[in-house]
Amino acid sequence: MRVPLSWLRDFVDLPTDDPDDIVAALNGLGIEVEEVHRLAVPFTGVVVASVEAVRAHPSADRIRLVTIDDGAGGKEVVCGAWNFEAGATVAYATVGSVLAGGLEVGERTIRGVLSPGMIASEKELGLGDEGGGILVLDRGVPGQDFMELVGLPDVVFDVAITPNRPDAMSVYGVARDLAAFYDVPLRAVAFTEPASEGESAVQVRIEDPDGCTRFTAREIRGVAVGPSPLWMRQRLRAAGQRPISNIVDVTNYVMLELGQPLHAFDLDLIPSETIVVRRAVAAEPLRTLDGVDRVLDPADLVIASPQAALGLAGVMGGGDSEVSETTTRILLEVAHFEPTGVLVTGKRHQLRTEAVARFERGVDPELPPIASARATSLMIELAGGTAVGPLIDEYPRPHVPVVVELPGTEVARLLGVQVPDEAVAGYLRRLGFGVEGVGPARVTVPSFRPDVTRPADLVEEVARLHGFDRIPARLPTGVGGRLPSEEVIRRSVRRAMVGAGFSETMAFDFVGMEEISALVIDPDDPRRDPVRIRNPLSEEQAYLRSTLVPGLLAGIRVNQARHRGEIALFEVGTVFRKAQGDLPAQPRHVAFAAAGRLPAPSWEAAPERDVRDATGVIETLFTALRTPFALEQTPQTGFHPGRSAAVVVAGKSVGIVGEIHPSVAAAFGIEGRVIAGEIDMSAFDPHRVEFTAPSAFPPVVFDLAFEVGDDVPAGRLIEVMRQSGGMLLDRIELFDVFSGPPLEAGRKSLAVRLTFRDHARTLTDQDLIPVRGEMTAAVMRELGGRLRGA
Amino acid sequence: MIRPEDLRAHEATILERLDGVASTTVLDALESEALGAGSPVTVARRSLRDATPEERRDVGMAVNAVTANLAEAFAERRHQLGIAEVDAKLAGERFDMTLPGRAPALGAAHLVAQVWDEIVDIFVGLGYTVASGPEVETAYYNFDALNTPPTHPSRLESDTFYVEHGDDPEAVLLRTQTSPVQARWMQSHEPPVYIVVPGRCYRRDAIDATHTPVFHQMEGLAVDSNITFADLKGTLGYFADAFFGSGSRVRFLPHFFPFTEPSAEMHVSCFACDGSGCRTCKNTGWIEVLGCGVVDPNVLSAAGYDPWTVSGFAFGVGIDRLALVRYAIPELRYFFDSDLRVLDQFR
Repeated sequence: MRVPLSWLRDFVDLPTDDPDDIVAALNGLGIEVEEVHRLAVPFTGVVVASVEAVRAHPSADRIRLVTIDDGAGGKEVVCGAWNFEAGATVAYATVGSVLAGGLEVGERTIRGVLSPGMIASEKELGLGDEGGGILVLDRGVPGQDFMELVGLPDVVFDVAITPNRPDAMSVYGVARDLAAFYDVPLRAVAFTEPASEGESAVQVRIEDPDGCTRFTAREIRGVAVGPSPLWMRQRLRAAGQRPISNIVDVTNYVMLELGQPLHAFDLDLIPSETIVVRRAVAAEPLRTLDGVDRVLDPADLVIASPQAALGLAGVMGGGDSEVSETTTRILLEVAHFEPTGVLVTGKRHQLRTEAVARFERGVDPELPPIASARATSLMIELAGGTAVGPLIDEYPRPHVPVVVELPGTEVARLLGVQVPDEAVAGYLRRLGFGVEGVGPARVTVPSFRPDVTRPADLVEEVARLHGFDRIPARLPTGVGGRLPSEEVIRRSVRRAMVGAGFSETMAFDFVGMEEISALVIDPDDPRRDPVRIRNPLSEEQAYLRSTLVPGLLAGIRVNQARHRGEIALFEVGTVFRKAQGDLPAQPRHVAFAAAGRLPAPSWEAAPERDVRDATGVIETLFTALRTPFALEQTPQTGFHPGRSAAVVVAGKSVGIVGEIHPSVAAAFGIEGRVIAGEIDMSAFDPHRVEFTAPSAFPPVVFDLAFEVGDDVPAGRLIEVMRQSGGMLLDRIELFDVFSGPPLEAGRKSLAVRLTFRDHARTLTDQDLIPVRGEMTAAVMRELGGRLRGA
Repeated sequence: MIRPEDLRAHEATILERLDGVASTTVLDALESEALGAGSPVTVARRSLRDATPEERRDVGMAVNAVTANLAEAFAERRHQLGIAEVDAKLAGERFDMTLPGRAPALGAAHLVAQVWDEIVDIFVGLGYTVASGPEVETAYYNFDALNTPPTHPSRLESDTFYVEHGDDPEAVLLRTQTSPVQARWMQSHEPPVYIVVPGRCYRRDAIDATHTPVFHQMEGLAVDSNITFADLKGTLGYFADAFFGSGSRVRFLPHFFPFTEPSAEMHVSCFACDGSGCRTCKNTGWIEVLGCGVVDPNVLSAAGYDPWTVSGFAFGVGIDRLALVRYAIPELRYFFDSDLRVLDQFR
């Protein structure tokens, strides 16, 4: 909202002229200044002059000679405009003056006649676009500095009003806060109840007093619609409003000044003189002022004639009864509507009008008669005409003032600063509250502050005026803080992944079905049935991700597109699955994906990442999280059928790892092999380390090679050997895998190095003969493996 | 019988030749010739058995002296040669130390996650515990329990993502703030409460420089028997010092949030220009950092607390925003782009 300083001064004499001081005051009041516009004077040396006489130019038809009085004597100037006659008041650019755009005004001879200076148009003065004729003024005395007349230079504060402050949605409201801040008087709005004649036939019927608690109407006859005078246009422009016509400008002016939206109907265009305030009928049509044909909802409140809707109450008027150049009879509506209804209707029809911005916060219910009188006076001043009959004021739900009891200790209890009772009462009174008694004080809330209903709200008012900066700072200490294990695990996972060379990404949680189904090919997989957003931003973002992998694959594509060869990404995030109960299931996952070569200096041939790098990451991760795991070779949907596995913890599948299926990678626009994995982080359950002192006795190490079928996973061999290896078996390492001659087709050799150790004595080869036999037999029995070289 | 002068002549010859020895192999051969089995020294020592006492004394002394001298000379020479040979070997192993090292790959934690951890740690240091809650949340915890009126615009479909779950289309949503965790925590814990809640939030915003539909926020809540606005100022001032550097100034301006009363916005003096005005602070000298306030009595009541005996303060800070501001990053979307050129800068 734009608030011109010159307009504020109509209501309050500020003790400072420095805009920076005023900005600080407004910010301190909670009226945040977003920008300060300094309106410069676009001209110099222009004064007000009166036109004494006008005569024809001796040698030209289209220009005239004008005798003016500029307070310093008579002068005759040449003028090409015809929109004025003797008696008019004009802006005279003296010799030596400079007009907008740098035009220097001197003595010029025009068709043989010397013209000392000129009469200026609005455009030449840099005040508007009107350049067809000269500027004719409605006020000013000859010799008066024109700059002063138009209120320049000026400063305009662009302020943001929080939703709880309907009272501050006006120049007057901002002035009221400033007057309270500086503790200076606030001048009342200048208005007089306009004189009226006769009786108006207009009748008002409120059918929905919950939606419309008050409705005032006034008929004004005999107005002449035309442009507003310069001062009005200047003010509206400074406040960011485009001048339209005197009648419409007055409604906007009073709204900006007092915060009360008003609407003027062309009464002759309303089919009957009865105004009804009611809910719309389902699918009722209305063409609003913006020319849009709207279909109304039964919850929309309308102003209507008995025949049809005339406007959306508190939102926008209708096009059929709009004031135009031919209007002579006005119906001025100044009403009070319930905030929520206006808000909802405004949202429904996507109308963010100035009226909505005010009504949705809650306009002062006692304001309509004041605003109506103010607007009527201005209309009559600017457009002529007379008010007909007294103000019609239907007020079915009169405002009942709210009284709040404020305990004497409450300010100190909530703010942590002692403010004397008298000071508290003083602050509240300055803001328009009535205060009786102390500790507790009975505080009557003014009608323009619907946001204040409780002691805490009053404490905020006290804080605003006392100043937040005068509240001391104190540092309380909590009751002992700690990181919950979930947060510790999250950090450990991230540290392990970063240490493994992966960079962390954060993708949006939104995915499209196309993306999900490109990865999760199996139609029965629960990840193919993701949770849907009811009002997504787009169909590509209509679901909540059920797996983190698509986001990572997209990340790989993005980086490949930027010519990055070595890519290793991971993400820690929530995935969503349909579930019974109050909410969908929301497990936290960690996932990774990588493509390209392993990092190495460019002149050394680094290997391409393959699926062993994926299983390696899983090993690193589970080692860092001190959680035992196993891989179970089962084809995973979307993955290479021969290069994927389930990650198993305590017999339960907690994740997947492998190489992404080449056609899936291609669907994601990725070149080359991609490895990936995803783990449900609830699987991580870091066990407590059971310390074993290093043995003082040397180990016995020997190797065994087994010939097994191609389909026997190495992991199974190691499992079987560990189970049969007895207490003394310390380590098993797989160190060689091969197939081909001399082995038969379909067979492979797996060689392991076994380390045995006893903590009490030195082992001999002799000691291990039985266990070696056990292990060999177990491999034969369970895997059909034969000890090679035996 | 070898005479002592013969031995001394032998010593002199050997020492002379020793000077010319350039490798340990030649040195070994010479040492064997000088002191080995067939050397005059050994022969002389062996002959002592048959010598007269005088000879034994004279020759014996000479043998010992020559043996000792030669042994020392050889040891010295061997030492010199050893150093030279190692030097020569190392000279051949010279390596350009400015070539890129063979570094283990190191990834980057996401900047937002780093800031997340950093601010969580500041508050854990002040005695706060970290709480968390679901991202898909009920409208009750996201709005009702936080004093948001049923008609509040933030509930509108244009602002909040609603999630298909169950029959009521407005019952389940993507949380628009981390505050619902406050409400959940208060329902299951008695005061005193000192918690921070970092987490992901969602608003139906179009993407621009400072808005994304997904963002990260940290909520803080302290409820105790004697908590005031002064405690809020002290705590958040400490936070600003810890995060933006000591010497940061803060100011609190009145603001509005449904769940606090009074409410304030905290600004911190611009760390780029120290308050004199620059692009970072849009020439105001201040940077808006967070929203905060004294917990609204309705929020305390909704949690089952007595608003007349306990009071509290709450704040909410945009984690992404803190990162954005501290590193003068022009656009929020960089955080969500997965672009390694961005991510790896924060290794």
